[in-house]
Amino acid sequence: MKRVLSAQLAGFMVRAASLLVPRRDRSSWTAEWTAELWHLCHPHGCESCVAPDADPVEFSLGAFHDAFWLRCDRIRSDGLPILQSGSAARCAFLLSATAIGALLVCLCLPGARSALLPLPWRGAGNLVMISSNGYAGTQAPSIRLTDYEEWTTDTATLFTQIAFYRPIDKSVHLPRHPAARLSVAQASDNLFQLLDGPVTYAGTSVAEPGEPRLVLTRSAWRRIYSGDPHLVGRTADIDGRPVLIAAIMPDSDWRFPGHIDAVMLDNPANLAALPLGTRGFVIARIRNSAFPPPRGGWRKMVETSRGVTRGFDCISVTHLLGQPSSVFLFALLLACLALPATTALPLGDYPLRHRLLPGTVDARRWIFLAVKFALVLVIVDLWSTGLAYGLEPNDPIRVLYIQLATAFPALLFGFRWILQDQRRRCPQCLRLLSNPARVGQASCNFLSWNGTELFCARGHGLLHIPELPTSWFSTQRWLCLDPSWLCLFPENCSPSPGMI
Amino acid sequence: MPADAKLSHTAAMILQAIHAGQIYGFSVMEMTGLPSGTVYPAMRRLERDGLIVSKWEQQSIADAEQRPPRKYYRLTRTGRSTLDAVYKRYPLLEKMIPSPEVEQAVERR
Repeated sequence: MKRVLSAQLAGFMVRAASLLVPRRDRSSWTAEWTAELWHLCHPHGCESCVAPDADPVEFSLGAFHDAFWLRCDRIRSDGLPILQSGSAARCAFLLSATAIGALLVCLCLPGARSALLPLPWRGAGNLVMISSNGYAGTQAPSIRLTDYEEWTTDTATLFTQIAFYRPIDKSVHLPRHPAARLSVAQASDNLFQLLDGPVTYAGTSVAEPGEPRLVLTRSAWRRIYSGDPHLVGRTADIDGRPVLIAAIMPDSDWRFPGHIDAVMLDNPANLAALPLGTRGFVIARIRNSAFPPPRGGWRKMVETSRGVTRGFDCISVTHLLGQPSSVFLFALLLACLALPATTALPLGDYPLRHRLLPGTVDARRWIFLAVKFALVLVIVDLWSTGLAYGLEPNDPIRVLYIQLATAFPALLFGFRWILQDQRRRCPQCLRLLSNPARVGQASCNFLSWNGTELFCARGHGLLHIPELPTSWFSTQRWLCLDPSWLCLFPENCSPSPGMI
Repeated sequence: MPADAKLSHTAAMILQAIHAGQIYGFSVMEMTGLPSGTVYPAMRRLERDGLIVSKWEQQSIADAEQRPPRKYYRLTRTGRSTLDAVYKRYPLLEKMIPSPEVEQAVERR
């Protein structure tokens, strides 16, 4: 009983070790070890190998060593799979390398990096931009300051907080630093509190009551002030007013329309002193009980304290800033629709349930196809995002157009390449087929077959591609070769059991 | 591999065992006392270097004996000349695993 169990365990170990063996040697290797194990476990079957005291499990442990040696030897002789020309591993490796390259490029471009990173604010789903003219109104200062001031009281039931900002160029003077012209977002002092982001203020204890605070972006701090480490806590002069430099924030923390070098947080009294016609952007945080966060644009009517009903559009910030992914999905949809019109979709005629093509081989083919699609999607998404934000980092509308214009053709050509590449691969080893040969001649009535034949260099089969699709031979056909042909192919000439 | 190439003692033992008529991996193990994890990789290395060749026995023979077919090994001409060169390096090899000719000579005496 114990011997039977150990024999079964040994058989299992041999099968497990066979997974380490290169595919083309596996059947022969497994057959040899199984035969040796059989003779070990059946000593009476062969007089020359009587081994009643031999332990099958101990014997099978050597199978792992043997399989590992065989794998290493194959790598030494053939090189790594990714170095073999035309191999599936090489194709996947090159696509992965391209995707990593695109990712690195995107990370190097500040605009593209911001587009890829998640929003830095807590509860960003509840943030909305208020516009008087839908999406178009979010790209330029469109809300009058007087409207904002009215809404701060009139919309208390809708929003927990509401903040205002307007981009403006200001001259900033600092002792021991030359005067600099900065693009400043003059904002209500609750802006960062509303956003609930990671910006913290250093040195607020020294701020005078009512004194505005300036939060510099990191790029402006480095570019204009050479990364002066003692800048935070000092007081700058902006338009003759003292402004405390309160913090340095990462550039990626500012995602709203308008390129800025700094945010100047001003108290309501100072904002109220601005000219009446001043226009800017308004951001609000929705009160959860008021209405569900809008998934895109949403119009809200509010009755003001003067009894007038006013309407405005709430545009979800996550939707607004997530436009690049929406555009990419739209480009993907267009490419999927255009693909059948530009190329044939069938991958060819393969023998179903063929004894020479086990299910795992077929599954591997489909997995490889899916991996190629996934990698091409990632590559196109990253490259189109990088290109769009690299060319027009400060114009969200142009960014979308550039991304659509680059992503659609890239996806279409990428998908065409994927299908063409898949059709030119051996379904068994997934290597590119080679040695194309033209067979036959076109006849007057097109009844004689003519086309191209390609070989798998490892002798797995032949691919017949018709020159002219006919009703009886419309797509390419794969012809499997049985192992007796393998000896003709030098790359795969390990004999199988029973071969003389 | 050249005939005067230096083989390790283990490889030389395995080569000598095959020459002595132990043509299956398991019988080489039995003769040399080496574990399977040493014998099989060494035989593959010897085969790769052209010192031995393997062949599957005929399916019909295995079927007649109701057992799986085995892979057997034999020396090549290069293997034989390498072995002759190896005897000079390991003089006791032939005494440890006598080759058929030596055995016949001993029996004749």
